[in-house]
Amino acid sequence: MIHPLLVSASAPPPIDSPTIQYGDLSPLLVVAAVALLGVMVEAFAPRALRFTIQTALAIGGIVVALAATVWVGLGLDRASGDVLARGRVVAEGAVAVDGPSVFMWGLVLLFALVSMLLFAERRLEGGLSAFTGQAAAPPGSAMEREAVEHRIEHTEVFPLAMFALVGMMLFPAANDLLTMFVALEVLSLPLYLLCGLARRRRLLSQESAMKYFLLGAFSSAFFAYGIALVYGFAGGFGLGDIDQAVSNRIDGQNLLLAGIALMAVGVMFKVGAVPFHAWTPDVYQGAPTAVTAFMAAGTKVAAFGAMLRLFFVAFGGASWDWRPMFWVVAILTMVVGAVAAVTQSDVKRMLAYSSIAHAGFILVGVTGAFVGTRDASVTSVSSVLFYLTVYGFSTIGAFAIVTIVRDASGETTQLSRWAGLGRESPLVAGAFALFMLAFAGIPLTSGFIGKWAVFSAAWSGGAWPLVVVAVLASVVAASFYVRVIVTMFFTEPTGEGPSVAVPSMATTAVIVVAVVVTVLLGVVPGPVLDLAQSAGAFVR
Amino acid sequence: MLLLVAIHLVAAAVAPALTRLMDRRAFLVLALVPAGSLAWILAQTSTVTGPDARAVEQVTPWVPALDLELAFSLGTLSWFLAVLVTGVGALVLVYCAWYFRPGDPEIWRFSAVLTGFAGSMLGLVLSEDFLLLFVFWELTTVFSYLLVGHNPERKANRRAAMNALIVTTFGGLAMLVGIIVLGQRVGTYRIADIVAAEPSGAAVTAAIALILVGAVSKSALVPFHFWLPGAMAAPTPVSAYLHAAAMVKAGIFLVALLAPAFADTPLWRPSLLVLGVLTMLVGGLRALRQHDVKLLLAYGTVSQLGFLMAIVGLGTRNAALAGVAMICAHALFKAALFMVVGIVDRSCGTRDLRQLTGLARRMPVLLVVTVLAAASMAGIPPLTGFVAKETVFAAFEEVARTGDGTGLPSWAGWLVLAGLVVGSLLTVAYSLRFVWGVFADKDGAELPREPDAIPAGFLAPAAVLAVLSLVVGFLGRPWTTLVEGYSTAFPAGEHEEYLALWHGFELPLLLSAVAVAGGVVLHLQRYRTEVLQAQFTRLPDAERGYQWGMRGVDRLAVEVTGATQRGSLPLYLGTIVLALVLVPGFALVRQFDGLGDVVAWQHPAQAVVAVIMAVAAIAAVRSRKRLKAVILVGVAGYGMAVMFVLHGAPDLGLTQVLVETVTLVIFLLVLRRLPAYFSDRPLTIARWWRVAIGVAAGVAVGGFALAASGARTLPPVSEAFAREAYDFGGGENVVNVTLVDIRAWDTMGELSVLVVAATGVASLIFLITGRTGRVRPDEAIDHPSRWLRAGRTLSEERRSVVFEIVTRLVFHMIMVFSLFLVFSGHNEPGGGFAGGLIAGLALMVRYLAGGRHELDEAAPVDAGHLLGLGLVIATLSALAPLAFGGEVLQSAVVDGTLPVLGYVKLVTSLFFDFGVYLVVVGLMLDVLRSLGGGIDRGAEAEAEDDDPSSVPDAAPAEGIS
Repeated sequence: MIHPLLVSASAPPPIDSPTIQYGDLSPLLVVAAVALLGVMVEAFAPRALRFTIQTALAIGGIVVALAATVWVGLGLDRASGDVLARGRVVAEGAVAVDGPSVFMWGLVLLFALVSMLLFAERRLEGGLSAFTGQAAAPPGSAMEREAVEHRIEHTEVFPLAMFALVGMMLFPAANDLLTMFVALEVLSLPLYLLCGLARRRRLLSQESAMKYFLLGAFSSAFFAYGIALVYGFAGGFGLGDIDQAVSNRIDGQNLLLAGIALMAVGVMFKVGAVPFHAWTPDVYQGAPTAVTAFMAAGTKVAAFGAMLRLFFVAFGGASWDWRPMFWVVAILTMVVGAVAAVTQSDVKRMLAYSSIAHAGFILVGVTGAFVGTRDASVTSVSSVLFYLTVYGFSTIGAFAIVTIVRDASGETTQLSRWAGLGRESPLVAGAFALFMLAFAGIPLTSGFIGKWAVFSAAWSGGAWPLVVVAVLASVVAASFYVRVIVTMFFTEPTGEGPSVAVPSMATTAVIVVAVVVTVLLGVVPGPVLDLAQSAGAFVR
Repeated sequence: MLLLVAIHLVAAAVAPALTRLMDRRAFLVLALVPAGSLAWILAQTSTVTGPDARAVEQVTPWVPALDLELAFSLGTLSWFLAVLVTGVGALVLVYCAWYFRPGDPEIWRFSAVLTGFAGSMLGLVLSEDFLLLFVFWELTTVFSYLLVGHNPERKANRRAAMNALIVTTFGGLAMLVGIIVLGQRVGTYRIADIVAAEPSGAAVTAAIALILVGAVSKSALVPFHFWLPGAMAAPTPVSAYLHAAAMVKAGIFLVALLAPAFADTPLWRPSLLVLGVLTMLVGGLRALRQHDVKLLLAYGTVSQLGFLMAIVGLGTRNAALAGVAMICAHALFKAALFMVVGIVDRSCGTRDLRQLTGLARRMPVLLVVTVLAAASMAGIPPLTGFVAKETVFAAFEEVARTGDGTGLPSWAGWLVLAGLVVGSLLTVAYSLRFVWGVFADKDGAELPREPDAIPAGFLAPAAVLAVLSLVVGFLGRPWTTLVEGYSTAFPAGEHEEYLALWHGFELPLLLSAVAVAGGVVLHLQRYRTEVLQAQFTRLPDAERGYQWGMRGVDRLAVEVTGATQRGSLPLYLGTIVLALVLVPGFALVRQFDGLGDVVAWQHPAQAVVAVIMAVAAIAAVRSRKRLKAVILVGVAGYGMAVMFVLHGAPDLGLTQVLVETVTLVIFLLVLRRLPAYFSDRPLTIARWWRVAIGVAAGVAVGGFALAASGARTLPPVSEAFAREAYDFGGGENVVNVTLVDIRAWDTMGELSVLVVAATGVASLIFLITGRTGRVRPDEAIDHPSRWLRAGRTLSEERRSVVFEIVTRLVFHMIMVFSLFLVFSGHNEPGGGFAGGLIAGLALMVRYLAGGRHELDEAAPVDAGHLLGLGLVIATLSALAPLAFGGEVLQSAVVDGTLPVLGYVKLVTSLFFDFGVYLVVVGLMLDVLRSLGGGIDRGAEAEAEDDDPSSVPDAAPAEGIS
């Protein structure tokens, strides 16, 4: 005898099935599907074909997702009741598909596209990828040698990167705290893993993965703790609900402030802001360079996007409470990043510190919290978007060059070994010099316009002392970028000079694209800046 | 005008190809570019100069969103500068065609950079938008860096180039801040609008000060003067261009541009006059000390720049006239003199005046050119330099006598004038030193080699400039008219000055005479002055300050990195945690609004347990032994279980105890392979810091929890659970019903995660754990009749008979008990999770008593099968209600009377729970096989490696699966 239990009690309220706007989410869904498909390929495709299939799948998927992003972007409507924002909140309030989201989707997809080309580079290691053949084999063991002998490769890196990409796309678009947390983890976990997969210097790589994971796990935990406190304050996870509560509630401020601070720890860790930056140099140095490039560009976009949405939409009403914290962090980040970079002797570490300094510059734009006026002046959101574009391409280009400057033991990241590169290969050294100048913010490179945009947004937002500090930090930063140029062009190589390996079309294409973008955005930044500007504000 | 600049840049782009095609003759073609620009600019003369001057403007939008536009304008001042930039530029390019040797491999780069440099300098003087001006300003910095570092083999060049770059970039960025302040203040970046607006206030003063820092550093004034002599490491044509018309003139140009609006800003005149005079004196004195004639000229430039800055910065109508005149004069003679040095250097192979001798006879034409230019520099009539200098003196005399609208006190005017006269005296002296040094016959001096003949084309540019120095001197009247477009921007003074060779016997003439006479005397006494100067070499030196600064930054960088970036994970984590304590902790304390209703304890025993837990936690942190730490952590965990029980949650308590036990055992299994101590090093201070940070973090997190629980505004959702668990879930154990019914979807997800995690753990720790196929009958076990058959595989000393027998006795009972928990879990404490853990513990006991072979005996199944089966059961039981028209995971009650057992009531979620049970058992089996058996096998394999004779049956080394 069977009694369905539901009949015996009063009927529960019916639960509607959620409506999902698949069209608006299609870029995300495409990438997620490709990632899952990649897992299937690992399981079923013959080993010999996997690398080709995975590469094609990843690149094809990203291209399709890009097309979908453009389609979604063209279809954005003006949000009701808001003059600046375009787009809408979909998937039961979980995801906001608005101008900034779509812009960042396009951006991370582009970064992922060029990074995948770096992932696919196999010419530099004699027909093998830059990833270890057998991650589980202890470094230096017989098992490892055997894996090399059998020319085994980890083609899982492609689906892993795709999963990370899903996280990167979802993180800045998440419209409630839970989705945001899930996205944070989806973005982080594959990256932790990817960091430990370098083919050369494996101990360094594994150490970096472990550090990144441990510290990242801690800051994710803080983020989650912050979510709990904010939920306790607002009684809801939706950013809009939180905004309502922040504006209307007057008690429970301690809960809100502690929650904001805890969540800030989480996102600031991801962007590498001081004092949560310590992982950056170790991880950037240890991770396979292609992963570093992907991570440096993509994670920054995702994390800054989420930071903007979180602090502008949810905590916008409490900006007087969080801005002092951002001031301090921004100043610390710029100063520490710029000063510490001066002494670096390793190119990858130098780039890591430079990324810290740049995080500081972007934070200046965020801290300005300038929402724009009627005239065409640039807002915090659009300036940060533009800066991320600029920085991402230059960074990927710089790391791409790091992968091709090599000696017998792999990449030569010792700065002193780069002496005389200008003579060895004027084109490569010239491209690297261009990226350095862009990082330094010299006019006619994209870096100048980027800096100018964030500084002017911050200025309009009243954060002028920050701008002054930022310019001073730029001076210090410029000195070490220049030092690299001096080393490459004006220093005699000691012993045998560096050599530039001939990469496949993939890496060459990445470098060329990065150079073109860096110059183009320096000379005619108008269209991209307009695009960032027209991305407008966040929907609520 | 955009076109002019663009043509330069295009020419720079094609220059390398051009040099490849026609070698050094390419410079002649390139010279057409500035020459053509010059022609265009000259064609505008009547419009943009003179009393009715009107600027020619041209605006192209660039980045509208950032208010960046390509706005160019040609006014009187920029007309003068543009003429110099293009004219001298063209001559320098012509000069290059002879300066470089045929087939020089580096000129492809040089030609491009020099042309680009000329283009950006032209852009700078034509910019109407302040930001555009900054763009070109930085471009000239970069290009000049490349030019100065042209000869990269020499370390001195590299350092000089680096200095030039850092100093001017620093100045440029300071200027950028000033520009932004000014632009934001006025609301536009158009220079003409800003000058017209004449803003004032503290912010504007600061902005102007920053812009002046930029100008002063670019124009190599004290204290930034050291970069310019260093930069003369560049090829001579570059020096000629850089010192005469480009780069250093940018600062002067900027000051002249802003003077009409900002000369009355508080800082303006004092700083520019003091720095200008000081620079003039320092540069002059230094010039007298040099033996390298090029260096002599470089210091001469420093001196002249000080002079120029003082007059341009004065900001009166007379000063404006004098300033523009002096800029022109200086460009003409300085470019010519540098070209002379280049010619001498090229033909004689040396620039050392102690080696140069007898050139007057061998190079008479060159002597004439040099004398003309040097005389202009010294201010000898009737040359341009004299005319300009006279007017400068007159302008300052006016200020000293009447103030001339500057508000400067009379004494200050006289003091500056005196300084300038002394400076001029020095100028005369080093001019003489130059001419004497290059051409005079000297005893004991010997040329390194016989000088070559000078080609006419090589000499021509210098000759043109020298002749111009002479001719322009006679054109005082039209010259004055030309400048009026600029000078009328200043208020008219009492006394209108004009440019002329003869003003009558007035004070300026007297001063000029004094300067010339003094200079001649100083030159005649040159040995004595050299000795005197040698006494003062230890004077504080700006360059040393700069070096200190740079080294300081380096040092700071090393210290900061050393302190924060040791690669130590505890340090990194400590930093993050500290920030957590400080920032959110601060937020918590700041907004502290009372503890609310805090109940200390419901039962005194809770306090006792809390104390025990705290003590255990502290002791765990303090312990150096891993084992001790693990056990103490376990104590804290058991304490938690007791807390649950005391709070009236037996189910939670049970689960907590089980989890704690399993964790403890797993820890111990792993610890077998780890060193006994965390660290062999003695306790350090750092460790106490870590303890302190840990305590602080604990307090902070506790504080958050307290705040969170005190902030409740709505009734907790759990209040409704008890009722709904019974009504909808058909069970009395709320926890269990929550897991298998109310939140069954959650559990479903967790189950999948658990399966993945178990598989992951197993395959991560050991590539293989016997999961690839059926568990094989173990040939190591040969006594079928014994209890714990595999116990024989252990060595004697590891065996314990009592343990083995007890294990054998209780194992089945525990297994039955675990099943009991599953079945009773719906109403009593227990459930699939707890049951699974208990079964896992039973297996663990078997393993501990009999080793890894015993584990295979006890559970002759593949853990993967258990995991999969569990997942399948859970899924099927979740889907089953669909077949009966229900919803996924809906529960139903089956009851009835069974023959033996009597009345039985069964809730269908039991099947789901059974899936959970199997998954947990599978997980435990996996963990035991990998962390237990796997580690054992690793140890055996190692022992075998050490001693091949022992343990013959050890598993073969694993290959790649």
